[in-house]
Amino acid sequence: MFDTLGERLNTALDGVRGSGNLTEEGVKKVTREIRLALLEADVNYGVVKEFVGNVRERATGAEVSKALSPGQQVVKIVNEELASLMGGTAHKLSFASRPPTVVMLAGLNGHGKTTTAGKLALFVRKQGKNPYLVACDTYRPAAIEQLQQIGKELSVPVYTEGTEAKPEEIAERGIKKARDEGYDFVIVDTAGRQVLDMDMMEEIKRVRTATKPHNVLLVLDVVTGQNAVEVAQAFQEYADFDGMVLTKLDGDARGGAALSVVSVTERPVRFASEGEKMSEFDYFYPDRMAGRILGMGDVMSLIEKAEAQVDKKEAEAQSKKLMSGKFTFEDFLQQMQMIKKMGPLSSLIGMIPGMNKQLQGANLNDLDDKALGRVEAMITSMTVQERRNAKLLQNPSRARRIARGSGSTQQDVQKLVKQFGEMQKMMRQMGKGGAPKRMPRMPFR
Amino acid sequence: MARSWRNFFRKTEEPEQETVQTAEEAEAPDSAEDVPTAEEVQARQDTPQATKVLEEEAAEEALEEAEAGEPEVLPEPDVVEEAPDEEAAAEEQEVRSGGWFGRLRTGLKRSRESMVGQLNAAIAEFRGTEDEEFWERVEEILISSDVGVKTTGKLVGELEQEALERNITSGEQLRGLMLEHAERMLEGPVELDVSHKPTVILMVGVNGTGKTTTIGKLVNFLPGKAMLAAGDTFRAAAIEQLQRWGERVGAPVVTRERGADSAAVAHDAVEAAKRDGADVLLIDTAGRLHTKVNLMAELEKVRRVIERQLPGAPHEVLLTVDATTGQNGLRQAKMFNEVVNLTGIILTKLDGTAKGGIALAIANEIGVPIKLISVGEQVGDLHPFDPREFAEALFGEL
Repeated sequence: MFDTLGERLNTALDGVRGSGNLTEEGVKKVTREIRLALLEADVNYGVVKEFVGNVRERATGAEVSKALSPGQQVVKIVNEELASLMGGTAHKLSFASRPPTVVMLAGLNGHGKTTTAGKLALFVRKQGKNPYLVACDTYRPAAIEQLQQIGKELSVPVYTEGTEAKPEEIAERGIKKARDEGYDFVIVDTAGRQVLDMDMMEEIKRVRTATKPHNVLLVLDVVTGQNAVEVAQAFQEYADFDGMVLTKLDGDARGGAALSVVSVTERPVRFASEGEKMSEFDYFYPDRMAGRILGMGDVMSLIEKAEAQVDKKEAEAQSKKLMSGKFTFEDFLQQMQMIKKMGPLSSLIGMIPGMNKQLQGANLNDLDDKALGRVEAMITSMTVQERRNAKLLQNPSRARRIARGSGSTQQDVQKLVKQFGEMQKMMRQMGKGGAPKRMPRMPFR
Repeated sequence: MARSWRNFFRKTEEPEQETVQTAEEAEAPDSAEDVPTAEEVQARQDTPQATKVLEEEAAEEALEEAEAGEPEVLPEPDVVEEAPDEEAAAEEQEVRSGGWFGRLRTGLKRSRESMVGQLNAAIAEFRGTEDEEFWERVEEILISSDVGVKTTGKLVGELEQEALERNITSGEQLRGLMLEHAERMLEGPVELDVSHKPTVILMVGVNGTGKTTTIGKLVNFLPGKAMLAAGDTFRAAAIEQLQRWGERVGAPVVTRERGADSAAVAHDAVEAAKRDGADVLLIDTAGRLHTKVNLMAELEKVRRVIERQLPGAPHEVLLTVDATTGQNGLRQAKMFNEVVNLTGIILTKLDGTAKGGIALAIANEIGVPIKLISVGEQVGDLHPFDPREFAEALFGEL
């Protein structure tokens, strides 16, 4: 149907990249494409106008660097403008000097407030905080139970008073209880509301006044369309939020709404939430996001994500082994398990530079995590000797046994062994410094 | 953008092709019996259990009485009132200040004011079909309503051509043409097929678009004996949420424990619906992003299991789309349609600043008709979709 914003911009910039001179005509062509791409990405109409104007002005202006070709120059300008629109650098959470730190969540119905409450609790606990949840959604049926179940999963206490009390009173008493019991991070979950429902907007104002939160976060679904601006302005007026949580980033929405909201309200996106697992939550890095939108990859995020899960020394040892070609099935299994900890494969792939473009024709559906599981099953069905010495597996009776043990076919096992061999070869080549001509098929594809 | 509930539920195998008036005359005698009329729905909501108590077995009465103590949140009284003639009703609704339409109008007002103001100004200054600025303005308005670049381009292109061919010079004529074109794009079979026994309706959609809430509302309007199935076994408290709705209207809810196979719930529910003689079975499913291959495969399995238990089912597969959704709504509709063959869209949360222009894009590019809209949180805020009124709300009173 249509490509992602990054792909669109890349297409638009392809002609420019190659050209030696940046003509006015060229800039016009590119900015027209950028305009369309941004509109299809749900960036607000007014914001697009402004953005495209800036890019055009800067691109046709005098800013010519000696180090870059004119084409590269436009890419750089678009990237910079996007990054500055998104608010520059990451905005980390500050904690109150006198605990508890109180965070209130607000937003439209169904944008993911309750889930975010749980994710944020887990996130701050990883930072050494002691979180406490307060359930103030007295409207949606079973909203309180939802938060309770999430709290139970995470072993975080949830303060509830049922659906009769006023949200602002529940919040106040909840925070007091948290303080009395020594919790230092309180998350107040509120009901979803529509911005034109004045009673509900007045209510969120009262909850805000009663809770005196240190942070108010607007929870915004990344699929939100043109009206994101009006929504954000209304919440700014009534809840005076100071940052956003962008949710459902694991979908394929291009998230132009975030761009518009940030530029109109001048409130940064603080967190990115991208999956149904409670751990899929992190600070939002605007500069990296801009790169990701442009299809330049998000190497920094990938590296950090990996670092958080993997012991650094272990990783170094692994990569040494990898490059020397002494990579065994045992190492492979270990790596796979690390990858699994990092989240779904398809989301990782998007972070690798150039991958977005390379994979355009490829069927990402093949990359499902079940396939990873099948490979894992095959490896765990191998003996230790077999894992260390893949050559043993050329023996068909061994392959048969593994197939039986892992519930796959003998062909599957043979395919895995073959692909693994190719991978070893490639790794050895890379270790010597020469990049392989062609990436071999990964065994889990 | 709403029609009356009358004629919304198709109860015969053949789709009705007559005009609105004749169809209504034909339906009128038996509609009092089966289709809940406005008054009936009203009565049901005033005293939530009244209608059901009459219908259900004595065994269930006790349970419901316990519930009856809690007053329900009532919808606006004129929400479901119906004038005999649909056109007259539409006009009357426009005049009326209250009611859902009035609220929607106030709802859309803030954003529409500037948008419509601009369009009005543009129409007033309309100098003829060569007026590039004018067409740009129309484009701008449509894009700002989430109609999307492609569908906007098509609509504006068609308009431009017809205006040129018919040599239209007045803004008034142009307005009529705009509404006509938008309406044509939105036309499609809008009734809900409930002619089977049991009729199985499968509710699907992305997380947070309002599947469970819509089921809770829709069950109030369904003719006959309804049954619910809590197929969302994933999200915390989704089962409880549906049970709460079931209690409110006295409809049995088929459940399994959280984490159970959703297809197994669907299997149980279809069996229960057949066994207990339910007329309509509404099956809820977990919200899922259309990009999650495994989850989409799971949904396909749910559909397959339903079909196996009851050939021809599910008779309706409805996708909930949040009206605030931007262009990603197209992806959602496309992917869900590929996996489970949608029969209709329910546009939810049309009560905010969102204009729901994505509905136009979906109708144009995917070809799945919009069947229902939800304009608020109350039960009475769910309405059958009316293309004409939707088009009018999109462009405003010019």
